[in-house]
Amino acid sequence: MSAEAAEALAPSPPRVDALDKVRGTAKYVDDLELPGMLHCKVVTSAHPHADVTSVDVSEAAASDGVFAVLTARDIPGENQIGVSTADQPLLVETRARMLADRIALIAADTLPHAREAARKVKVTYAPLPVVGDVERALANGAPPVHERGNLLAKKQVVKGDMAAGWQAATHVLERTYSTGYQEHAYLETNGVLAVPEPDGVFTVYASAQCPFYIQKAVARVLGLSLAAVRCIQAATGGAFGGKEDYPSEPAACAALLAQRTGRPVKLVYDRAEDILWSSKRHPMTIRHKLGVDGEGRITACEVGLYVDAGAYNGLSAVVAERANATALGPYRAPNVQVDTYVVYTNNLFGGAFRGFGSPQVTFAMEAQLDEAAARLGLSPAEIRRRNLLRKGDATATSQVLPESVGGVETLEAAVTASDYEQKRRALADFNAKSRYLKKGIGLGCCMYGCCLHAGGQFLEGSGSLLHVRADGSVNVAIGGTEIGQGAFTVVAQLAAQELGCALSAVKVLPVNTDLVPDSGPTVASRTTVMSGNAVLDAARQLKAKMREVAAHKLGVTEEKVEVAGGGFCVAGGLARLTFQEVAKACYERKVNLTAEGWFAPPRKEWNETVGVGEAYSVYCFATQVAEVTVDLRSGRVRVTHVTAAHDVGKAVNPAMLTGQIEGGIVQGMGYAIMEELKVVDGRCQNPNFTDYLIPSSADAPTVQSLLVELPWSLGPYGAKGVGEPALIPTAAAIANAIAFACGHRFTHLPLTPERLVLTLSDAGGGPAAVSVAP
Amino acid sequence: MKHEELTLTINGTRRTGIFPLGARLLDALRRLGYTGTKEGCGEGECGACTVLLNGRTANACLVYAKQAVGREVVTVEGVGRGHPGQLHPFQAAMVQTGGVQCGFCTPGVIVSGCDHLDKGGAVDDGTLKDALSGNLCRCTGYAKIFEAARVAKGPTS
Repeated sequence: MSAEAAEALAPSPPRVDALDKVRGTAKYVDDLELPGMLHCKVVTSAHPHADVTSVDVSEAAASDGVFAVLTARDIPGENQIGVSTADQPLLVETRARMLADRIALIAADTLPHAREAARKVKVTYAPLPVVGDVERALANGAPPVHERGNLLAKKQVVKGDMAAGWQAATHVLERTYSTGYQEHAYLETNGVLAVPEPDGVFTVYASAQCPFYIQKAVARVLGLSLAAVRCIQAATGGAFGGKEDYPSEPAACAALLAQRTGRPVKLVYDRAEDILWSSKRHPMTIRHKLGVDGEGRITACEVGLYVDAGAYNGLSAVVAERANATALGPYRAPNVQVDTYVVYTNNLFGGAFRGFGSPQVTFAMEAQLDEAAARLGLSPAEIRRRNLLRKGDATATSQVLPESVGGVETLEAAVTASDYEQKRRALADFNAKSRYLKKGIGLGCCMYGCCLHAGGQFLEGSGSLLHVRADGSVNVAIGGTEIGQGAFTVVAQLAAQELGCALSAVKVLPVNTDLVPDSGPTVASRTTVMSGNAVLDAARQLKAKMREVAAHKLGVTEEKVEVAGGGFCVAGGLARLTFQEVAKACYERKVNLTAEGWFAPPRKEWNETVGVGEAYSVYCFATQVAEVTVDLRSGRVRVTHVTAAHDVGKAVNPAMLTGQIEGGIVQGMGYAIMEELKVVDGRCQNPNFTDYLIPSSADAPTVQSLLVELPWSLGPYGAKGVGEPALIPTAAAIANAIAFACGHRFTHLPLTPERLVLTLSDAGGGPAAVSVAP
Repeated sequence: MKHEELTLTINGTRRTGIFPLGARLLDALRRLGYTGTKEGCGEGECGACTVLLNGRTANACLVYAKQAVGREVVTVEGVGRGHPGQLHPFQAAMVQTGGVQCGFCTPGVIVSGCDHLDKGGAVDDGTLKDALSGNLCRCTGYAKIFEAARVAKGPTS
């Protein structure tokens, strides 16, 4: 990239959607009203596992204001909503496998009328034994959640010779870790509005990450072609993975009712419905065995992962694949064996959540490394320094990393900025003198494959559409969504930068499946890379055309025309045309200034059976250092400060980027110490913000963000992603800080106050598992 | 379902509407087109529906519309009244610092933050943590919201 381009990207212009949002004028789904619009209510199963023996909707259908009541037999297309496996009906036919399974859909003139009718749907059940955890699911004679049995998928990574690895180890650490659910708790619940249009097309406005998933799901269920379904993203009040595949379900429900009634149908969940029905971060059990030599170098790593998928696959096997491929973290190891089991239960629906399987395995790996460091008398920073991947090294899947490998740089940046080593000594002194109040500092590193896994390559392409209008204003349409992360601002910046126009001239259009080709999902921290590159592709085509016209007007050859300072000028001369003047000239000469852009990364080679190959196109690296205070009497942990160093390739908008880091850390802190969904035999006990606590402003630590920029040759101006890495190492770093503070290794997340106190009292005060290196 | 006619004073304007008996202030505001006020939880935990009721912050999901009759209601659409560009300095600062991400909590944060600043509240971390603790934000981690309050307060504080 030229120095000029770097300079132009350096400031952080405000978000393009910020003004509407601070004024309260941005339109979310529930803010949309259409004439004749109906409201939908969903009737779900009363049992997490049961045969549905009868459904009587006659009384509900006759209830006040009701326009339609639909059950499985009313579906004109396929009664199937599974995004990667055809195991999930939209509406129950004969068997309910989780509490969120839908039995009937109601459309009424008002929401109170729809609710009243919902209470009148009569369902009889023959309850079946509930498969309430992974252990029970895999036991001999377990009741099958599906006919094929409870093992949904098995993944593997195999590298080197494990026996040799154990032989080379001087220390072997073996421990089992476990993690609980996490709820996305986006502030806006799921919402969709399905509209039957006069031309026979169905429009679905949705709070969603993936309009193209919704388009496919609605077409499938309604029995329509893709051309007859359009999805438009409304302003979306947070997603974090929770609006990846899941919104296809409410969208199909509302669209079915819209098709039946010929009216617009809105479906917006209340908070309890949203927590009970939508996807969750998967609970995992992680059996971890790590071997290190006398220098602290990893000789072998063996991981057994057990993933509770819930009753349907959804994205569980895909999440598990990421956990599987990155279980070793950002480290070198000659011998690796990972075995991942994805298991059906009757529990909550597991799915995508920021980090996508990585926070769980990162928690385990980072704890193990700290334990190994303590055995060897090494600092946790030093053992990581000795093992972190460098340029040219191979990952656990034997993928050689040729560029943009910033693990060591993030470690050094975070260790230095946090004054890590000095603080470890000072806090150890403090703890020696303080009986109940303990302080800790902990490290967490991670590596995150940016963009989709090799197994998802069939989705890995993104489009854009750019129009330069006659007055020099620019419309940009992309297939990636704006979910709060700032995608629209980033692509507007990239378009303005590449075209040489003012940022204020660029208007990004709401994502609409009519405007761009299927661009895959807005996930995997891929939007800056995928949509950004697609926008650059289109902008470069337009710039070439505009340059040609500018050259003609300036009376010089094309090579002499430079794009700079909001216009076109002759190199070394004074003659200059503004961007608007050239746009107008193109219009008058009938030079078409509409261009489609496209980006797809090079094909990755991947052997799924043994988990060997190019798992991802590129990796993001991060190191976070958390500082905590623990009150041993109450079990209360306060995270006081986090230092976060992230290798992002190139920061397109540093202010938004640090906003991602700060937000990710607070979400990761919630995961580590606060957020606990209590689920007993498939029933969630606390589907509300009173009993499921997410961090408030009072809980938030201060955060120092450090950006490491090692450009990736295929990224837009070198950029990679940051959305997910922001959260992944946080819980690991906090857990290590708590272990330091308490002198005890806790093996379960979340580490709530009661769990901390009970664990320590069970342990009789706790063995000094963590020592402070000299 | 029974309905009643209510007249509310919203952002200085008297507005009359017919609402179901027992309608919440949140429902009444949204029905009258003040859709900036959001429902995030419906139980007074998240603060997305924060409005001012006679100059004090309230969760509009926990107040009956009828209870607001005869009181002054200020919503996010009204906090900028009388300021340059009809934008309260805290709104402008939230744009500038990046205190906004998905935007769904933002109206409530704006109402709470404007109220805090208008009453001369301090902008140190401790005070702000307390002042904004009724407004859950899942995106920002709060740092840039605090920064916005400090920018809005200005260098004289």
